[in-house]
Amino acid sequence: MLTYIAKRVIYTLPIMLGVAIVCFLLVHIAPGDPLVSVLPPDASEQLRQQMMALYGFDRPYAEQFLKWLGRALGGDLGTSIRTNRPVVAEVGKAVSNTLMLAALATVIGFVLGSLFGFVAGSFRDTWIDKVASAISVTGVSVPHYWLGMVLVIIFSAQLGWLPPTGAGPGGSDNWVWDWAHIRHMILPAVTMSVIPMGIIARTVRALVAEILSQEFIAGLKAKGMSAFGIFRHVVKNAAPTALAVMGIQLGYLLGGSILIETVFSWPGTGLLLNDAIFQRDLPLLQGTILVLACFFVVLNLIVDVMQTAIDPRIARS
Amino acid sequence: MASDTVMTRAPAAAQATGSEPVRPLLEAADLVKHFPIKSGLLGRSNAVVRAVDGVTFSLYPGETLGIVGESGCGKSTTARVLMNLIKPDSGNVLLNGRAPGTPELSLKAFRSQVQMVFQDSYASLNPRLTVEDSIAYGPTVHGVSGSDAVRRARRLLDRVGLDPRRFAGRYPHELSGGQRQRVNIARALALEPKVIILDEAVSALDKSVEAQVLNLLLDLKEEIGLTYIFISHDLEVVRFIANRVMVMYLGRVAEIGPTDALYTGGRHPYTTALLGSMLSMDPDERTMEAPLAGDPPNPIDPPPGCRFHTRCSFAESVCSAKTPVLTVSGTGHFTACHMVDPGSGHSKAAA
Amino acid sequence: MVQAVAPAMIDDATIERSPGYWSTVWRRFRRDPVAMIALGVIVLLILMAILAPYIAPHDPFRGATLRRLRPPGTPGYLLGTDELGRDMLSRLIYGARLSLFMGVTPVFLALFIGSAIGITAGYVGGIVNTLLMRTIDIIFAFPSVLLAIALSGAMGAGIVNGLISLTIVFIPPIARIAESVTTSVRSLDYVEAARASGAGALSIVRKHVLGNVLGPIFVYAMSLIAVSMILASGLSFLGLGVRPPEPEWGLMLNTLRTALYTQPMLCALPGIMIFITSISFNLLTDGLRSAMDIKA
Repeated sequence: MLTYIAKRVIYTLPIMLGVAIVCFLLVHIAPGDPLVSVLPPDASEQLRQQMMALYGFDRPYAEQFLKWLGRALGGDLGTSIRTNRPVVAEVGKAVSNTLMLAALATVIGFVLGSLFGFVAGSFRDTWIDKVASAISVTGVSVPHYWLGMVLVIIFSAQLGWLPPTGAGPGGSDNWVWDWAHIRHMILPAVTMSVIPMGIIARTVRALVAEILSQEFIAGLKAKGMSAFGIFRHVVKNAAPTALAVMGIQLGYLLGGSILIETVFSWPGTGLLLNDAIFQRDLPLLQGTILVLACFFVVLNLIVDVMQTAIDPRIARS
Repeated sequence: MASDTVMTRAPAAAQATGSEPVRPLLEAADLVKHFPIKSGLLGRSNAVVRAVDGVTFSLYPGETLGIVGESGCGKSTTARVLMNLIKPDSGNVLLNGRAPGTPELSLKAFRSQVQMVFQDSYASLNPRLTVEDSIAYGPTVHGVSGSDAVRRARRLLDRVGLDPRRFAGRYPHELSGGQRQRVNIARALALEPKVIILDEAVSALDKSVEAQVLNLLLDLKEEIGLTYIFISHDLEVVRFIANRVMVMYLGRVAEIGPTDALYTGGRHPYTTALLGSMLSMDPDERTMEAPLAGDPPNPIDPPPGCRFHTRCSFAESVCSAKTPVLTVSGTGHFTACHMVDPGSGHSKAAA
Repeated sequence: MVQAVAPAMIDDATIERSPGYWSTVWRRFRRDPVAMIALGVIVLLILMAILAPYIAPHDPFRGATLRRLRPPGTPGYLLGTDELGRDMLSRLIYGARLSLFMGVTPVFLALFIGSAIGITAGYVGGIVNTLLMRTIDIIFAFPSVLLAIALSGAMGAGIVNGLISLTIVFIPPIARIAESVTTSVRSLDYVEAARASGAGALSIVRKHVLGNVLGPIFVYAMSLIAVSMILASGLSFLGLGVRPPEPEWGLMLNTLRTALYTQPMLCALPGIMIFITSISFNLLTDGLRSAMDIKA
């Protein structure tokens, strides 16, 4: 088992390297001047050359890459061109904000999704199934950023119950777990939870339906096991895969939070990414993408390993 | 029941009993095929499965050679090596003295002369192709025109007992197991081969259907003049259909010779135990104990010397030291056992 | 054995033919009401996109500041006007063109490229497989939204750039499915039997592998269309895909945000269109899967 884990970890390393290369290349295929946000348009050529040398943009790509990678491994992702603060600090703060939101959204999505999925799978092809399945397919089909806007219209504009944007009084720098702050989380988290809810519901439905159709269930019923006992068996068998899907969904939410955060002005990595793109803040852009991608890779690794720990058959395949 | 109808037929034979030198049609010389097992941190292979470990035999024109042995003895792998579907690690396969893949015999030409019928009748047929398209595919690969190939396919269907008007346009899932195997036989015949290898071809069929297909095979052999290799774990069937039998154990040939000689007077202890494990219909011959003790050892780590010595009641020290070779033990009868080999050092061997 | 029928009779006789795989699938699909409705909706949307010039009441680009942000139900402007005074209904109808195009095209391009990569990797196996799939894995290591936005952000806004980045996002999942299905088909007996007939790799792939592999791959690709539509309009929503003044549903959501508090209904409309399209594609794919008897 340990060899499997070790193999898996080692296998991740070239992937990470590839990810780093792609991150690096991404910003360098960008057309346009990397210094456009720093220099005034009428800057002299001399100043230009100096700035290029300062940022190291005039060296060959391979050299730039290795330097950047070396510094990144040491924890230095450069300085944001726009704010002049270290990228690591900016990203670190943003990541924790997004993580809060994504974690809450994943939990909501998992709980609701499992509920719907379980109900649908247990009562397959009845009206209960159809309703639950309709809800889950809606979850997957809804453009979530639009849903966010609709929720804002209903709960903020019309009803005035919840705030539409931001991370609470004082912004995210002064985050405290009190109602004044948490109420800012509710709408974005609920909006974010919709797609994971749909996906988990569909997955759980298929799992439950398949488990229930297996012969050992008939054997258990013949032995006289109660409905609750069978329920426990189903949960035990479905849990590994369902949890794995949840883990992956968390990863997607972390990486794809930009749309929701734009709607709600939530100061997370998504919003940071948005700013970085439109301000052409290359170091920030590079750093953010790298951190998010690495998060995703590591998350995948953890999910894989945990799945193997629970179900050793996977390692043997 | 099946054995009653089966026993009355006398298999046609053209045996190499040593009366006149007949050139073998197919020869296998010292075939070796090991499969590495990947394990450990870097995927290095620490162990190998010795699926086929030095198999030598000859196949003579017009005969049916049966190959028997327990699971894992290498029967199927040998068949695939013979078919050139798997490349052997060492050793040769010769068709009429020529090796496939050489200028004297192209791989394609070899393929058209040696064909195979697989065990799983359903998995052997492409579920998206009609029956006639499946049969016609082989000929088209060899240059036969589409319409000619279809014509040939329909005639072959008729020959194997399936009315082409009813069956040619059907899909595999609409046919029964026995019908599918007939289609597979027709497909094997489509290239007009000389040799057909039947790898457990009737094992998955119901007994009555099995008898029909066996009779079909025998009829075809007589009509067309085919040569068969019949691999099976069903000893009764092999006894019925084969002229000669080869017994394999853990990737090696234990004994090879005429059917009756092996079934009534096998010289290798494994042969007698295996063929003696066939249950008799005679209530007086009831057996209370299994003739063979223990499980078949792992082909990953076979015992040294004679592979069988760990389960052999006649084993002596020489059996774990030296590997026995195939020695003559009768007309056209060869056994790989120290007891048969004079000068091997075994106490039972003739000096 | 006596031949039952004379050879000439066999050759000329008409044979009974069973319906092929896809006609069986269609027959089963037809009996599924939800799937048929979804198909109908999609056909309607496509027709709407094609016939836009004939059915839209107004020019989608002509706006007048005087007519800004009129609510739905205004006479002459059935669904109101947007922030530049342009007729919403016309923009929604014309919007179908770009939205559908941006949603469907990347998936089909990725289907073509991804299948080629995956099937080759799956059939050839060995080192080619490892090389191809590991490269795919690197791209797959990025969450899709992030990758799409990063690529679009790097290349700049625009339809072509949006198409390119979305296609790149969808190639890895399709390639993986293609490789996985091809590998499992390749080890089946009938492929071995085809090899035993002496056929070359290309012939085997064409005749035996493709027919059995394209079905599952195609269904998987269809399930990606809904995602692609949401992602494509999401890109436009962020200002990265289609640029103004083109009518596109995601872009319209972006530009109408300013009217969130004053005319909420207007804001909701483009999203409803995206939702209808997306859910129709999802239901269509579900129906197709059931008809093909594949477990989701």
